[in-house]
Amino acid sequence: MKKPLLGAFEAPKHNHMLGAMQRIEVPMRRYRNTEQVDYCIVGVGSAGGVLLQRLARAGFSVVGLEAGPFWDTERDWVSDEAGSHRLYWNELRITGGEDPLALGANNSGRGVGGGSVHWAGFTPRLHPSDFRVHTEDGVGVDWPISYEEIKPYYELLEKEIPVSGPAYFPWGDPHGYPYGPHPMGGCGDILIKGCTNLGIRVSIGGPVAILAGSHGDRPHCIYRGFCIQGCKVGAKQSTLISHVPDGLAHGAEIRDHCMVSRILLGKDGCVTGVTYVDSNGREAEQKAKAIIVCGYAIETPRLLLNSACPGHEAGLANSSGTVGRYLMAQAGNVVLGRFEELVRMYKAPPAHALTEEFYETDPKRGFARGFAVQTVGPLPISFARQMMVAKGAWGWGMRQVMMDYNHWGAIALLGEILPWEDNRVELAAERDRNGIPVAKVTFNLHDNDKKMIEYGKNKVMEIMQAAGAEEVVQEARYAHLVGGARMGNDSRTSVVDRFGRTHDIPNLFVCDGSVMPTQGSANPGLTIQALAARTADYLISQRDVALTKSTRGTKQPPIRYDLSPPGTWGKGVPRFT
Amino acid sequence: MSCREHDGRPVNPKTGEPLPLRAQPGYYPGFRTLSQRDFWDQATRNVVLARVEQIPPIRFFSPEEAQLMTAVCNRILPQDDRDELHKIPIVNFIDERLREDRLDGYRFDRMPTDQEAHRLGLQGIAEVAQHLFRKPFVDLSPLDQESVLKTLHDGQPPAGHTIWERMPVSRYWLLLVQDVVGVYYAHPFAWDEVGFGGPAYPRGYMRLENGEPEPWEVDERRYAWAPPPGSPSAKFTPVGGSAEHKASPGQGGTH
Repeated sequence: MKKPLLGAFEAPKHNHMLGAMQRIEVPMRRYRNTEQVDYCIVGVGSAGGVLLQRLARAGFSVVGLEAGPFWDTERDWVSDEAGSHRLYWNELRITGGEDPLALGANNSGRGVGGGSVHWAGFTPRLHPSDFRVHTEDGVGVDWPISYEEIKPYYELLEKEIPVSGPAYFPWGDPHGYPYGPHPMGGCGDILIKGCTNLGIRVSIGGPVAILAGSHGDRPHCIYRGFCIQGCKVGAKQSTLISHVPDGLAHGAEIRDHCMVSRILLGKDGCVTGVTYVDSNGREAEQKAKAIIVCGYAIETPRLLLNSACPGHEAGLANSSGTVGRYLMAQAGNVVLGRFEELVRMYKAPPAHALTEEFYETDPKRGFARGFAVQTVGPLPISFARQMMVAKGAWGWGMRQVMMDYNHWGAIALLGEILPWEDNRVELAAERDRNGIPVAKVTFNLHDNDKKMIEYGKNKVMEIMQAAGAEEVVQEARYAHLVGGARMGNDSRTSVVDRFGRTHDIPNLFVCDGSVMPTQGSANPGLTIQALAARTADYLISQRDVALTKSTRGTKQPPIRYDLSPPGTWGKGVPRFT
Repeated sequence: MSCREHDGRPVNPKTGEPLPLRAQPGYYPGFRTLSQRDFWDQATRNVVLARVEQIPPIRFFSPEEAQLMTAVCNRILPQDDRDELHKIPIVNFIDERLREDRLDGYRFDRMPTDQEAHRLGLQGIAEVAQHLFRKPFVDLSPLDQESVLKTLHDGQPPAGHTIWERMPVSRYWLLLVQDVVGVYYAHPFAWDEVGFGGPAYPRGYMRLENGEPEPWEVDERRYAWAPPPGSPSAKFTPVGGSAEHKASPGQGGTH
């Protein structure tokens, strides 16, 4: 067929689309800046979106301030690699250390939905062992909560997202998924073949936050492979499409293009609001009874540090000196294999098969903790940039290897790098276009990390060879960011308590990937959303007490199953233990 | 051995003869992603067609810099086998990125701004060309130009030391190559060359396994192809040479 029967596809007439079918109908509530709202959420991403929805549904007045745009996905997103540049946090940051991290498109979102807009969508849970790595392995630090405390929130979010995957996922705490697994693409077939030949168990078709069947006004996946360019289909979950609409329907406000520059502290030692630069470049203030910072592992520490004031000279909530410290990225070495036959890895979601067979500590390997192996599916520009490093390709060599693009497949390491004090976010001398000091990120690999990467990289290459690749190369890289404002029971060594409340300031909270004390070898998106739902339940259970000065509840609140977005009820997550 | 006018053209490895100029190199003859434009959503169609039809003017680089940068890009991503109508403009889009200060979200702490890095890098390349061949880079043969660039790739430029003290040469090399490939492989002509299906919303893909083409894609048809004889860029060697083991972290998001 040369042309669509009814002519070229046109943009929908409706003025705010989220995915192919979902529309935002409700007029958004607008709060006055002088009005003291209950909660001001800084950053409406993976955690901020869930919090906003929960708190609004529970009847609180909530304003979310988001530095980036409130996307209309039909108008703003494209099925194109280079054209998706705006989805990422592209503002200046300085990166350094012995092993500097690439930022931007690699790990940092901007706009409503945040990183969940451009994640590949893998949603494995952390393992029970992840919450006590210091007790078990003598490395890193234990979490102040156990797996059992977060488990009901994993199950709840797996239904709200909802997650597609196998009926039996065998690693960690074995469980199943509400939606069935996806069909395989070329890279999944490679991972299955390589693992099967080596006797390694492999999970196929998930777990991913991508619909294998329709869900309300969200259609199922069409396998176009542009997951990390933003899912125009609405099949891949982002909080933009799963939680934000319900939050708005319950009276929440999202103010987009608003970059918060400073958190304001009152005379009584409590925060009173925030200063931000609005969409017209003007400085404004929003008053709130409590503030939840959801800016992710770099912007959250940056904001706390930039909010230093008398009495908090080292930054807000930083009496421990740990704000910005214990930043983590996961090792994400991409292993590329050339096959005699065609692969066409641009089809199907990049994320669709994985193995966690090497996740737990194995003393025989000579290092603590482990790694996962997952599919990736680089599109041509990403693939060319990987070849630039993996093979040193340029000039005619680049042209030659790219002409064979369709013969290559890719799988990747996802390895646990431990939390180290010297891996950190500080303020740089440079300022951004609003005059706010930018973040300086320092990252060094330590001995255990290097051993893990060496072993893991070789294992992934072995799998690629076992799949029948005639040539195997790899590119060292990192994936994800967590830490920088970690949670803990000891206020001398952590920034927030087990519910995300800062130790220093009773009405200032942090809720995002930065609170994670360790990261496991699981992609952090699901855990971040589950932690947000848990923090929301805590805040709701405390009611007004959470908004006032000193009382600090420490009991785990009951889980609120009645606060989920529509369409969650009636789904189930199979349990096996 | 090879005729001078064919210097820098791929050859048939069996005969050694230069391959003819093509509208579309690669192994997917007849495949045109642009022919599918009506099946794309409107926002995507606008973005891709603008890239093809609206070439931004050079404003960031001076005329001399633009001339040198064009010659450099022609070697980083050679298009000598494409006919004039189907060459992909590179420098204009890098110029636009720098002029609009469109960043990738970070800067390595030992690097100047991207704008300054590109300007310094061009000076460095000019100095290496003078040092090795006593001629401006733009006047060199394609293979000699490659030899100049190869010294940067290897992390051992023999001249321009004051520049490389201000900016690690391997970091500049990666910035340059990633900017160039980022423009080339964003173009539908390059998608046709590598057999990438291009935009696929709202239609999607349905043949996911075994490298099967969609009904509107074509199967691969390989032919004998080899890079120009003696081309330094045809050999795959690590960035920074064998001395530098540490590969730089990559750019695109894939997890």
